[in-house]
Amino acid sequence: MVDLAELKTMIEVALPGAEVEISDEDGGGQHLRADVCAAQFEGLSRIDQHRLVKAAVKERFDDGQIHALSVKTRVPE
Amino acid sequence: MPADPELKSKIEELIGANPVLLFMKGTPEMPRCGFSMRVVQVLDQMNVEYGAIDVLPALQPLREVTTEIADWQTFPQLYVNGALLGGADIVEEMFESGELAEALGVEQPEVASPAQSGATSANGDVQQSPPLQIE
Repeated sequence: MVDLAELKTMIEVALPGAEVEISDEDGGGQHLRADVCAAQFEGLSRIDQHRLVKAAVKERFDDGQIHALSVKTRVPE
Repeated sequence: MPADPELKSKIEELIGANPVLLFMKGTPEMPRCGFSMRVVQVLDQMNVEYGAIDVLPALQPLREVTTEIADWQTFPQLYVNGALLGGADIVEEMFESGELAEALGVEQPEVASPAQSGATSANGDVQQSPPLQIE
């Protein structure tokens, strides 16, 4: 079972100052969702914003702990 | 694993030749994954011609190719004018904000709801390419 708090920390470490929320949409760890609000996204295309988030948790994809992570990104107002 | 160079150049050629190209699980007529279906439903409302590649027959080799060319492993993937625009989340988000219509160079459809259309197009005059085959 994947550790949601660890995922949150991994993203926060990669994007210092970001607001990160991880939710487990079906409660079984199969449909995870990350809502990330970060100043680092400013000026980036959405795909590049998502690449930053996916890269932060790449290790958990590589070791098979997560299969699907739905990502929603936002630049702070 | 490094991608098969032959498949990689074939895919790069297809991306270059198709201004709007969707890599999906299944076909536009019969999507085999909910995420792929969501992108098809959005594209079908955009009145845009697009190519579609079913990744299921060669999932792992294609994953290796898209990892190298676009740093992206999951499908669906929508390429517009040679660059990866995104997967289902990004396509839907950009559809709702009107950015997708802008990227595709078409008018935003009047009813902006990805759930509104079925697997077949609600719009009769949408032109759709037949699925491309990968040998």
